Amino acid sequence: MVRVTDLSFGYHGRAVYRGLDLQIARGDVTAIMGPSGCGKSTLLALMGGLLMAQSGNVYFDEMDLGDRSKRQLYHLRKRMGMMFQNNALFNDLDVFENVAFPVRQNTNLPEKLIRSLVLIKLHMVGLRGTARLMPKELSGGMARRVALARALALDPQLVMYDEPFTGLDPISKDIVAKLIRELNDALGMTSIVVTQDVTEGMLVADRVIIFSNGSVVDDGRPEDISGSEKWQVREFLDGKSEGAVEFHYPAKDYLEDLFGID
Amino acid sequence: MSWLPQIGRISIAIVQHLGAAGKFLPNVLPGIVVVYKRPKLLIQQLYSLGVMTVLIVVVAGLFVGMMLGFQGYHTLVDFGAESSLGLAVALFLTKELGPVLTALLFAGRAGSAMTAEIGLMRMTQQLDAMKMMGVDPMIHIVAPRFFAVIFAMPLLAALFSVVGLGGGYIVAAGLLNVDPGSYWAAMQMGVDVYEDVWGGILKSVVFGFVVSWISAFEGYYALPSANGISTATTRAVVTASLSVLGFDYLLTAIMF
Repeated sequence: MVRVTDLSFGYHGRAVYRGLDLQIARGDVTAIMGPSGCGKSTLLALMGGLLMAQSGNVYFDEMDLGDRSKRQLYHLRKRMGMMFQNNALFNDLDVFENVAFPVRQNTNLPEKLIRSLVLIKLHMVGLRGTARLMPKELSGGMARRVALARALALDPQLVMYDEPFTGLDPISKDIVAKLIRELNDALGMTSIVVTQDVTEGMLVADRVIIFSNGSVVDDGRPEDISGSEKWQVREFLDGKSEGAVEFHYPAKDYLEDLFGID
Repeated sequence: MSWLPQIGRISIAIVQHLGAAGKFLPNVLPGIVVVYKRPKLLIQQLYSLGVMTVLIVVVAGLFVGMMLGFQGYHTLVDFGAESSLGLAVALFLTKELGPVLTALLFAGRAGSAMTAEIGLMRMTQQLDAMKMMGVDPMIHIVAPRFFAVIFAMPLLAALFSVVGLGGGYIVAAGLLNVDPGSYWAAMQMGVDVYEDVWGGILKSVVFGFVVSWISAFEGYYALPSANGISTATTRAVVTASLSVLGFDYLLTAIMF
């Protein structure tokens, strides 16, 4: 469904990826896990065409995103959905209108049908009763579910979740995890879940990819990853702070910085 | 000589900024099609950017007109020409003060709101969310605001001038005992519809374009932080205001 070949990308001269290769299988829920700052969200932005690879290619359904015109890219994105870490709900629209927004903008369906579609999506996430509430009236977990309903509004083939469990209580996490799994299977979608939450990530995924310093360090079924002996994987899964993840961000010599010694 | 590289850096930054603003415009202009197809988007923005600015334009227009009445009277009376007060007030308002002050007020009220709104949408990833829904924010968010300002500005400038004329009349006829008939008659005889009134309206269309362009551009490329939005809003108001004054000089030199 998604293929990344020899991808390189960086911000302000600092490389996030150098020659990354990755493939996401159709129909799977794939969890991409790794420590903060390893480039997981950047990868989602690259897969959605929000960022463009500096070299290498990102393919969606065997179509190279880098070769698409702006118009083609927008057209392609109608087949994708993305749930953002902060939900990115439109604050001035109520829940119903938030979910209806992509449908209204991309189709000419009659109002009655839009209403039914939106209510179906809200019912799927258990929030049909909140249709007329404003985003600020929702709890964190509810807002996340509304964002999920909106991501599914156009019945996408691929849904990308950016940190769907962050900031949620254990019950809400479990609800969101179940929704991701069940909706993926029921609607025949492909899902990519970027998360730091080991427990939920392992629970929800068919396949887990562990990232460290911008490269894949392990890739496999959740049970295989849990038993992995690779030290980078153990370090992340067991939460060890002494390891490959540098505590100090690269800087010049400490004494030199403190006292200006050349 | 340490200032030399600094000047170079600032110059490069300014040129890059201008270049980015230039590239921004061709992305917004095709939005006129969407505005035509979905007039509701434009009407919403005409209300929030245009109608909501009416009150300050009316109040400012009234006071400016009253001030012009006083100042004009005290200048003209020395020459025994106080009967031309209506003409002086009308020319000042339609050719200069109406379009310029409306644009400055608009940049402060609606332009800054537009910058902050678009910037905040960027910061909270709402613009990215739209892109992922297959909706181009440049067309659906920026363009309706951009064209609403261009449509609203001449109407507001006209309103400013009309209210200002009323303010001038109140002072002239009510306080300074200028003959009401001569106030209106001098105006009717001396104001040229094409050169003065349409000239002023053309100015306000240009100012609307400039204010709208700068406000939308600064909002769209605001850094996604509280400081970034605050800086973008300040820059939008300052740049738009100075640009309005600069364009006013250019247009006056060309047109009149």
